[in-house]
Amino acid sequence: MKIIIQLRSSGAAHQAATRGIAAPSVTSGLESAVSGISIDPQYPPVQLPGVQTTTGAGVRSLGQPLTFTLDPARSTYLVRGSIPDGASQAAALQSAVAHPDVVGVFSDPLIESCIVCPGDPPVGNASDVAKRLSVSKLVTKKMDGHSVFLAVVDTGVNVAYLKSKGRTPKLDIANSWVPSGVSTTPGTHPVDHGTMCAYDAGIAAPKATLLDYAVLLSKTPGSTVMAGLLSDAVLAYSKLRTILNGMPVAKRAMVISNSWGMFSPTWDFPPGHPGNYSDNANHPFNLIVASLETAGADILFAAGNCGHNCPDSRCAFGAAPPICGANSHPAVLSVAGVDVNKARVGYSSQGPGRLTAKKPDISIYTHFVGSGVYPEDGGTSAACPVAAGVVAAIRSKYPVSKLSPLQLRSLIFKSAEDKGGTGFDFDYGWGIVDPGALLAALP
Amino acid sequence: MATRMVTLRLDPSKATLAEIQAKYQLRPDQVDPKFGVVSVRPEDHLYAVLVDEQVASRLEGGEDVVGSFSNPKIETFGPPRKR
Repeated sequence: MKIIIQLRSSGAAHQAATRGIAAPSVTSGLESAVSGISIDPQYPPVQLPGVQTTTGAGVRSLGQPLTFTLDPARSTYLVRGSIPDGASQAAALQSAVAHPDVVGVFSDPLIESCIVCPGDPPVGNASDVAKRLSVSKLVTKKMDGHSVFLAVVDTGVNVAYLKSKGRTPKLDIANSWVPSGVSTTPGTHPVDHGTMCAYDAGIAAPKATLLDYAVLLSKTPGSTVMAGLLSDAVLAYSKLRTILNGMPVAKRAMVISNSWGMFSPTWDFPPGHPGNYSDNANHPFNLIVASLETAGADILFAAGNCGHNCPDSRCAFGAAPPICGANSHPAVLSVAGVDVNKARVGYSSQGPGRLTAKKPDISIYTHFVGSGVYPEDGGTSAACPVAAGVVAAIRSKYPVSKLSPLQLRSLIFKSAEDKGGTGFDFDYGWGIVDPGALLAALP
Repeated sequence: MATRMVTLRLDPSKATLAEIQAKYQLRPDQVDPKFGVVSVRPEDHLYAVLVDEQVASRLEGGEDVVGSFSNPKIETFGPPRKR
């Protein structure tokens, strides 16, 4: 057990505390006398001011008036160490407390930063995200998404709402698509998840040309209004591929942001079944994703919100890996979430992936005050379009003819700020997207 | 009834609803016309149609039928919901 030991005043302790240097000689007597005690030789003694109550009695409450003094004679000094756990702990503790140099022995508990979970308030705002993404640097290099298609495959975008938030989105209505049965038209869909995604993509790529693909407004049955069927996404992707193939190769640049997936394996055939989607490279949607990437699209998928620490209430994967289907496709960027303090949000799905193990690929910012559609732009749903915006910004100067989707992904991985374990890990992937470093790595 | 995506390997000139209905003796209402015939992998002449699971079972193993696949529900991810 880790402990903090409060020592009586001594010249050596005061000298070491004043200089901020460790002084093993201060505690050598204690280590010899107390069996099992171990003092941290690197930790310098810390002077604890002498405290006095107005009555002279001992401190019973921090609410009572107290006076403090830095007079060394009236101070005590803190060092840290450990005593054994188990049966011998009590004896070691008793022996330490009884030592003439010791005033008291206290626990030294582990402290950790608070991980962001569903329902937690937002951390930071869109301006913080823009700073972390070096957007001003991107803008000076005219990397703002201009001349790049950015398809938001989601619940639809509401342009009037984005304008009310100070954005000036450019929407290509002719190349957008609405599933049959949906009464609203591209850019006029109800303000919801898709509008949040469009807002977040615009943090790094305000000049991108939006393509509004309201796949999740499809009237095919789902349990919520933000649900659809995978076949709607197949249809959407076939239309996007037609558009992409129609672009001149020298100017070809299309980024596709997908903040959706499955929450439960029961929605699919089991792994091993020939008709399965989650684990099956031959599923038509996984094939069409591959064909679109081969044609030159940068495809991003949110990793999901089924992280071990505090998964979304809808998650039903249990111990099974939750990053599945196209969200784990080798030809896409699978995006995990961190807050603006660069700590992984507890609900961000962790790898391994099902179609390919090394997922998620990268992390980027989420859970911030942004679009105003929700109290926070959260989930890996927000992280994905934030990353899509960065990709679109790069594509303003680097169309596919200069940098293939695979090459760009490699540069993003190599320039990412490494977090978690050294190199790739299943929490952060290759790390947090670092546009500053990415700019330096571009050819 | 649940739907399935069935993939077929077809000559591009035969990749129409009318041709597929004729080849597999399907009624027009047995193949989703709004989904149509979707090119999945042009280089392999691979196409998909959307049918119900009964029709999918009937088509499995048929001439030029590559496979029958799930059509699962998909949902937006966030913001995350508290347990």
